[in-house]
Amino acid sequence: MKKSEICVIISIVIFIFSLAYITSLGGLGYLPPVDVRKLAQIYLASTYNPYQPTNTSSGYESVTAIIWDFRGLDTFFETAVFYGAIIASVAIYRGVEISSKKKSIGMSPIAKTVTRLSLILIPIVAASIAFHGHLTPGGGFQAGSVATVVIVLSIMVFGLRRLVQKGVTKPKILLLRSLGLIGIGLTAIGLVLAGLVIGVNAYIFQNQAKAMAEISYPMWIDDVLFGGSLLFFNIFEFVAVMAGFTLVLMLFSIEEEEVKKVIK
Amino acid sequence: MTRKTLASIPAAILSFVIYLFYTGSLGLFDVITGAIVAVIIGLLVGNIVVENPGKALSIRRGFLMLIYIIWYFLVAETKAHIDVIKRALHPKMPLNPAIIKVPYNVSTDYAMTLIANSITNTPGTVVVDLDYENKYFFVHWLDAKTSDPLKAREIISSKFEEFAKKIFD
Repeated sequence: MKKSEICVIISIVIFIFSLAYITSLGGLGYLPPVDVRKLAQIYLASTYNPYQPTNTSSGYESVTAIIWDFRGLDTFFETAVFYGAIIASVAIYRGVEISSKKKSIGMSPIAKTVTRLSLILIPIVAASIAFHGHLTPGGGFQAGSVATVVIVLSIMVFGLRRLVQKGVTKPKILLLRSLGLIGIGLTAIGLVLAGLVIGVNAYIFQNQAKAMAEISYPMWIDDVLFGGSLLFFNIFEFVAVMAGFTLVLMLFSIEEEEVKKVIK
Repeated sequence: MTRKTLASIPAAILSFVIYLFYTGSLGLFDVITGAIVAVIIGLLVGNIVVENPGKALSIRRGFLMLIYIIWYFLVAETKAHIDVIKRALHPKMPLNPAIIKVPYNVSTDYAMTLIANSITNTPGTVVVDLDYENKYFFVHWLDAKTSDPLKAREIISSKFEEFAKKIFD
């Protein structure tokens, strides 16, 4: 090893250590406290709090509680923006048909057989993530993304045309996507509608009972933690995200020749 | 019951077991949601995944599969690993690579895939291509002992094929 190389290594080591030392002394700005911060304490205390029924969010998972309860409206608009983007993609590809008459080539029979088994495995994992969104890390968006892997695999291994022949068509996926979004919307205003019927006050995006609005989604059914509105949000988001990604992936897999026939 | 509905039964059972296994819990919530998901998945993909419902529900075949898995991962894999480790560490590195045509004689896709994946998963042999019509694998073999297809099958895949035939055919 040359002398200059040794010098370079030593100076890098000295640089890293001095930077670490300065950072640990607070020389590069405010140091976050070692203990749990105030804001986090508030979230943790109100995510699952059986002693204060008006200050709880019906699940064990703080992240899901924040996403679908504390800031549910934000997440709703995020989902709506995502939906808008997908509608835009569909609009760009309007009139482009996925021809299902020609036979798909696909990959070798070995890959096809193995992928057939993952048609069971991957959706099951996705569904478990969606249904346990209020209990363990995960939730609707993550589950939807996992489920999309099946579509990626199917398009690669079986071919897009085969997928369409098996009934995975654009209108069906669009319908599924819309059902997911409608479900999210209905869950958001569910308690308001129920309140109108039985004549009590309720808010949109309300999950558990509040001081002036004493109806809530079921937090417990028997002794099973049900998750209130979180469970419904996660399931509908799962459906919406899965259908949205599927639709875009299918559109992007259409051959250029087919697209160019319509869009010149 | 039509074949399609029948086919969804083994698919649903498999789904339910995998759901509980992945969730890692046997609570009431998990069993109920698992059952719902299993029925939906079973109905959706049952007739794609399952070729013959009767075979898929056979306990004898499932038991054979279990024996095969234990034998394959404990015996076949270990043998192949030791052989490749020996070759890699040997000072002369005795390799004699070749791509050999290996015939197979099973009728279902699942059995064929089990043989192919068994060959690939053991170190030293890899299925690189497949002649589906004439039932041949093209196997890359690290130490090609023979170039005769039938003898190669005897050495590489006869035991896998025996099991695959009993489990899936």
